[in-house]
Amino acid sequence: MSDSDRLAPLSVTGLHKSYGHHAVLADLNLSVEPGSFVCIVGPSGAGKTTLLRCLSGLLAPTSGSVRYGDRPVNQPLAEIAVVFQDYRGSLLPWMRVRDNVAFPLEGRGVSRSARRARADECLAAVGLPGVGDKYPWQLSGGMQQRVAIARGLAYDAAVLLMDEPFGSVDAQARFDLEDLVLRLRRDLGITVIVVTHDIDEAVYLGDRVIVLGGQPATVIDNLTVDLGQDRDQIHTRALPRFAELRTRVLTRIRGGAAAPDPAPPAQLDVSRT
Amino acid sequence: MSRTFLVSALNQLWLPVLVIVLLWVGTAGSTNFYFPPFGDMVGAMGANLAHGGLLEDLWFSLKNILAGLGLAIVVGVLAGLIIGEHRRLRESLGPVLDFARATPTVAFVPVIILTLGIGATPKIFLIFLGSLWPILLNTISGVEGINPAVLETARSYRIPWQLRLRRVILPGATPQIVAGVRVALSVAVVLMVVSEIYGSPVGLGNFILRSGSSFAVTDTWGGTLLIGLLGYGLSVVLLAVEHVLLGWYFQRPPRVRRNTQGLALLEREALTR
Repeated sequence: MSDSDRLAPLSVTGLHKSYGHHAVLADLNLSVEPGSFVCIVGPSGAGKTTLLRCLSGLLAPTSGSVRYGDRPVNQPLAEIAVVFQDYRGSLLPWMRVRDNVAFPLEGRGVSRSARRARADECLAAVGLPGVGDKYPWQLSGGMQQRVAIARGLAYDAAVLLMDEPFGSVDAQARFDLEDLVLRLRRDLGITVIVVTHDIDEAVYLGDRVIVLGGQPATVIDNLTVDLGQDRDQIHTRALPRFAELRTRVLTRIRGGAAAPDPAPPAQLDVSRT
Repeated sequence: MSRTFLVSALNQLWLPVLVIVLLWVGTAGSTNFYFPPFGDMVGAMGANLAHGGLLEDLWFSLKNILAGLGLAIVVGVLAGLIIGEHRRLRESLGPVLDFARATPTVAFVPVIILTLGIGATPKIFLIFLGSLWPILLNTISGVEGINPAVLETARSYRIPWQLRLRRVILPGATPQIVAGVRVALSVAVVLMVVSEIYGSPVGLGNFILRSGSSFAVTDTWGGTLLIGLLGYGLSVVLLAVEHVLLGWYFQRPPRVRRNTQGLALLEREALTR
């Protein structure tokens, strides 16, 4: 498959999803450009996970469409890897860490030695060299989520879809994982979509933050995060612009009108390219 | 490890040793025709094994129980995996399976002897029939009980069905399959004896029947003891196999394990109704 087929925008058009008579998502439109980092944020029960499952092809929309490039996403695609919130359930406890990471490759008929090499490479990329022979349940929560990310990388997808990926780990591990994902995106040029309820996390990570709201949920705001590519936990979060953006997202989630986006301070314009 | 192992072994051994010593000493002076001294029973067992044809009986019985149980494991697990994977099949087969399980297999003895005669085949068939249900039903519920997150992961990483069956469904259901085999083993031992008491010229069941009806009570006790030892020996073997197959399961922290022992007990109650 050519690279232009592999790297394509993921677009959602007029997406509706109902469970029986209960509508969860309505008339939802969004588009994610290749190589971008998009955070989808919304309150609990807003249908974030439903949206992610539609994006990943695990769930069929009631109407409307999800497309990757010009192909419909009506089943999981080889270009999209999913990292689930529940790492405990999503890593297979009867397989060693290395086998877990390499498992999707086994389905593609990759040879045993190539699988092994690739798994070790991906484990090293997430900062876990040398744990391949352990079982997932011998690792801490943060480390298990790193293994899940390594599996996504080994799958060699162009898009990494993450559902509340850091929701179940402690705060310190969470910061490390956020920076890890930022670094992976920068190094590998992959598209990352993170679904989260954490506004600070969404602003810290994303190039763009898409706010879901309403009952049934739809996109109520879509803002560009002009904080540049180089972010760090201490300074980025202390920027006045960071505070402005998080205030805007929070206001929207709380049901307020979109305040006009204040012009960013001049010194930040440089990084806005 | 060796020290704790030794302590644990001693802790498990002292009571059986004490019971044997008490039995041996306490019954040594017995003149009761029906309850001969324990030492005589053991002696009779040894003598009959050495040159009374009991070894032949033991071999006959052992072959049958292994063949019947082995067949039940193969059929039960394969059918259980398929039925467990298909909700509709599971639903439509439910009542039939419940009926089959609720009918005591011993009730089939006359019919089986009539149709299959008195060779090894009817015994193997009977043991197979009785052991099948606990294995089949436990496999089905083991497949049903697999964490949905595991299945979702397999789907999103496009694991082909053969690989999914072999590396996801089968290992995921194994803890409960093993619990089913444990129950099946005790059923199989009962059926082995019963099948040899009715219409059989050979086997352990036949030995105790034969010696009993010729009032060789010590021999009968010896044979009964041997049946107990056979059952116990098989369950020890099973336990060892279990620990090899389920290393990952037993080493995990207890809070994430399902209580399959409890399930097996419920199953046993259902069987002995």
